[in-house]
Amino acid sequence: MNIVIETSDLTREYKTYQKPEGLANSLKGIFKREYTSKIALDKTNLKIESGKIIGLVGANGAGKTTLLKILSGLVTPTNGDAKVLGFRPWERKYEFLRQISILLGQKNQLWWDISPVDSYALLAKIYDLDSTVARKRVNDLSEMLQCSHVLNTQLRRLSLGERMKMEIIGALLHEPRILFLDEPTIGLDIVAQENIRNFLAGYVREKEPTVILTSHYMDDIATLADRLLLISKGNIVYQGTVNEFVTNSNSELAQDEKVDFEEVIRRFLETESRIR
Amino acid sequence: MKKSFAVFWKRNLAFANLAIVSNLEYRLNYFIDAIVQPLTTTGIEILLWFAVFKGAHTATINGYGREFYLSYALWAAFFARIATSWMYEFRMIEEIGSGTINSLIVRPMSFYEYYLSQLLGYKFITTVISLIVPIIAAYIFHLPTIYSRMPLAVVLCFYYLILVHTISFLVCCAAFYLTKISSFTVAKNLMFWILTGELFPLDLMPEPFRSKIIALPFSSGVYLPVGFVTGRVGIHEMMNGFVSVTIWLIVLNLLGAWFWKKGLSSYSGTGA
Repeated sequence: MNIVIETSDLTREYKTYQKPEGLANSLKGIFKREYTSKIALDKTNLKIESGKIIGLVGANGAGKTTLLKILSGLVTPTNGDAKVLGFRPWERKYEFLRQISILLGQKNQLWWDISPVDSYALLAKIYDLDSTVARKRVNDLSEMLQCSHVLNTQLRRLSLGERMKMEIIGALLHEPRILFLDEPTIGLDIVAQENIRNFLAGYVREKEPTVILTSHYMDDIATLADRLLLISKGNIVYQGTVNEFVTNSNSELAQDEKVDFEEVIRRFLETESRIR
Repeated sequence: MKKSFAVFWKRNLAFANLAIVSNLEYRLNYFIDAIVQPLTTTGIEILLWFAVFKGAHTATINGYGREFYLSYALWAAFFARIATSWMYEFRMIEEIGSGTINSLIVRPMSFYEYYLSQLLGYKFITTVISLIVPIIAAYIFHLPTIYSRMPLAVVLCFYYLILVHTISFLVCCAAFYLTKISSFTVAKNLMFWILTGELFPLDLMPEPFRSKIIALPFSSGVYLPVGFVTGRVGIHEMMNGFVSVTIWLIVLNLLGAWFWKKGLSSYSGTGA
């Protein structure tokens, strides 16, 4: 078993300024501010095998993105340790960064003012890729995603769906060994979601990267994930396969009641929101 | 080692290229920045010196005649265009404040080099175009200019630009803690307006300020290169400028590396 991601007691705490309503409190805030702490990730222990797709599911604010940010090196943990491909992510060693990719569905990562082909040429230089190989990879990926016709259009002029396809090509250009996908289908229509889902399934089958995927669309998780990680208030509350999870949940129900994966997750999230 | 330097070089040329490509996407904005702005600044400065000489009823100030001051004003506007960083400093601050920095720090490159190469690339392309203005004006009005001194003056100004970028980098590190800090840039650049010698030649200052301010590295941005080209400053002062900038570059880069590390460890990956 080749473990590529391992964490021990990984914890991240955020401090936030609490601003009471009104002008008087704004003036008071010049001299004195009150901060509250929130534990976004609490002593998380994980072991992830190479080549697996992990679906990370949880309510808003459960700690999914924080975990992704720590594992990709964006954020430094408050406590605990993590190793990704043998590197401590937040040290951001070039050798580590060359082997990972993170796609944040809610943020542009390509350059806004230039065309995707110019962005890819720049990425090829950043990742030290042979320009001919990089160009061929862009052509192959854009054909698979059926978006070759917009490669020369300024990114800012593309639709959300086209932009997401461009972002995916940018994230895969250097063939990362670890791929972090944070809501890659957010805001897309059903057809576009399905296209991207099918593309990712095909890509992962062929290249076998390790993928950590978060999504609020349970079809993404059910279609793509080998394993499910359920996160609640900064704690991992379930690790296993999607099927096991559904079977376990069904066994707890009345005999004549059967629910599918989406329904189980919906009930889990509803319980979560009541407890909060 | 050889390969990693080649990779570094290729990558940074690509960043410089990015600055040129993305600025040329907006042609009118680029044209105003490269031509209209220096023309306006030059016009204001020249009018100011005309008014000073007329009001003072004198042929010379501090041993130099009106043509020398007009020439200084002309070239000061040109060199100050190179030696000032507004746009990229605002962008660096914005990247941290808004969280768009996320897409940069997960890539095998440094934020410092990414913006330095863009700044140098952009300044290079605007300098080439902006140079037309003072050359034509100096020729038409017969203003004193030693053209053979121009290459060294430009080299010092671009060398100083690396220091300007390092200071921008230090300022933007504060955004990890304070988020919105563009007022720092405004206050700092207003101070540099005087300290570089853009507003008036630093040798007009009374002692003891004069020698102390000229010894600071900021004089390498405008006063020394312009003084060198217009004949107020000799090669010895220019060499002192190179030494002063080097010392400050070493100190501020060490400080910048430390602040960056501290800032990143407190960064919360805003917005994603």
